[in-house]
Amino acid sequence: MTKTYPKASRPSLDNVSVSIEKGEFVFFIGPSGSGKSTIIKLLLHEVTPNKGRVIVNSKDVTSMRSWKRPHFRRSIGCVFQDFRLLPNRTAYENVAFALEVIGKTKAVARRVVPEVLELVGLGGKEHRYPHELSGGEQQRVAVARAFVNRPLILLADEPTGNLDPDTSIEIMRLLDRINRTGTTVVMVTHDSNIVNQMRRRVIEIESGRIVRDQARGVYG
Amino acid sequence: MRMKYVLSEVLVGLWRNVTMTIAMIITMAVSLFMLGASGLLYQKVGDMKDLYYENVEVSIFLDQEVTPEQRDALDAKLKSDPLVKEAFYVNKDEAYKRFQEMFQDAPDLLSAVKADSLPESFRLKLNNPEQYKNIYDQYKDAEGVDEIVDQSRLLDKVFGVLTGIQNFALAIAVVMAVAALLLVANTIQVAAYSKRREVAVMKLVGASNWFIQAPFVLEAVVAGLIGSIFGLVALAALKFAAGGGSLAALEGLITPISWGDIALMFPLMAGVGGVVSAVTAWVTLRFYLRV
Repeated sequence: MTKTYPKASRPSLDNVSVSIEKGEFVFFIGPSGSGKSTIIKLLLHEVTPNKGRVIVNSKDVTSMRSWKRPHFRRSIGCVFQDFRLLPNRTAYENVAFALEVIGKTKAVARRVVPEVLELVGLGGKEHRYPHELSGGEQQRVAVARAFVNRPLILLADEPTGNLDPDTSIEIMRLLDRINRTGTTVVMVTHDSNIVNQMRRRVIEIESGRIVRDQARGVYG
Repeated sequence: MRMKYVLSEVLVGLWRNVTMTIAMIITMAVSLFMLGASGLLYQKVGDMKDLYYENVEVSIFLDQEVTPEQRDALDAKLKSDPLVKEAFYVNKDEAYKRFQEMFQDAPDLLSAVKADSLPESFRLKLNNPEQYKNIYDQYKDAEGVDEIVDQSRLLDKVFGVLTGIQNFALAIAVVMAVAALLLVANTIQVAAYSKRREVAVMKLVGASNWFIQAPFVLEAVVAGLIGSIFGLVALAALKFAAGGGSLAALEGLITPISWGDIALMFPLMAGVGGVVSAVTAWVTLRFYLRV
């Protein structure tokens, strides 16, 4: 598919065709402005392609009506470089908020949230506020929030961009563990260290084109 | 839980921006007060028209030296006229009696008028008071007729003034409504900005659009409803002040405004206040949040 933003001189993604299987762990790498973040936006239905189709969870979402978007998003978890936590809520409340705003009851949250916080290694820190947590811990909260609804796909946009190397490795271990539960993980990064260590499928994008698609690849 | 969440968000939202909320409520209240006043006037003018036109008469005054034959001819013609519902004759004595009743508070005037100086007349009720012109054309040149007077001409002037006041109130209501609308739009933008993080997360995790919008829209609606309550209180205060004060003199002219009439305005005011607020908030959100 092709995606050109209005006012852009060249397409952000130019005739790109990628197929990702269920349960895969995929890195999108490439320099800034290469179009890798556009992939995430297309998968989230934040933007639509000018040409071609986007199929997520075997549903064609290319021309999905915007009022269907909320429900569609519930099957996708999302993690960002800047965590995007609510500063006036505790770790527990941040995760519970994500459940409650999609209509889950408090009782469900009480059962599921401690479980998922335990899974990401934050057992005992449920009632800390984001500013009382380290960067790595905040990102764990964000991962917990993305995963609490058991999405089929986890999108991660430079999740280690703000973290030191050791903490980054820990977050990657966590994403790996989530991947092993059967969740497809799509991660955009330019952290060569991590890519080299994980040895998963690597898709390199440059100027909107795929220049490399390698199973068990390295940053190169 | 969802209802509780939405309601607590509404209260927090109104309180967070309390100066703006007060401004919004005041403009809303003034606008709705004017709307209510205009509605009351409209209702009253309608009532009064029914009441007055029902009793309105056309008087045909006869010449001082009218002959009995002319009078009988006129009487017969009026009684067979399809435009006329009722016609009755008022002789000099009766005319004087009516005159005495009407001006019993003005003895000077009474003593200045002699019993036989008042003209005889026919008093007519028309089937349709609007057809006065036809009657006038038909009888103005008839033998023995001096002058034809239609009370509804006078009433039209009174109603003209009342309708003018009503339109003025309506114009103020509209102007204030525009101000209220802009304040609502601004308040909602500020509210949406202060909650942009929550909104971003909600969109991300797939909260439904109505759930994201509901607290904002309800915030505006609650302000609108509070405004309409204040507007109603202002209307009631006006009636209270007018009841004992200067407007009491008009009591006989204007049909009295009952508490029921005022209460009847509330659904109109609350409805307009609520719907205008809700629509404004919703449209603002469509542009501002893109949800």
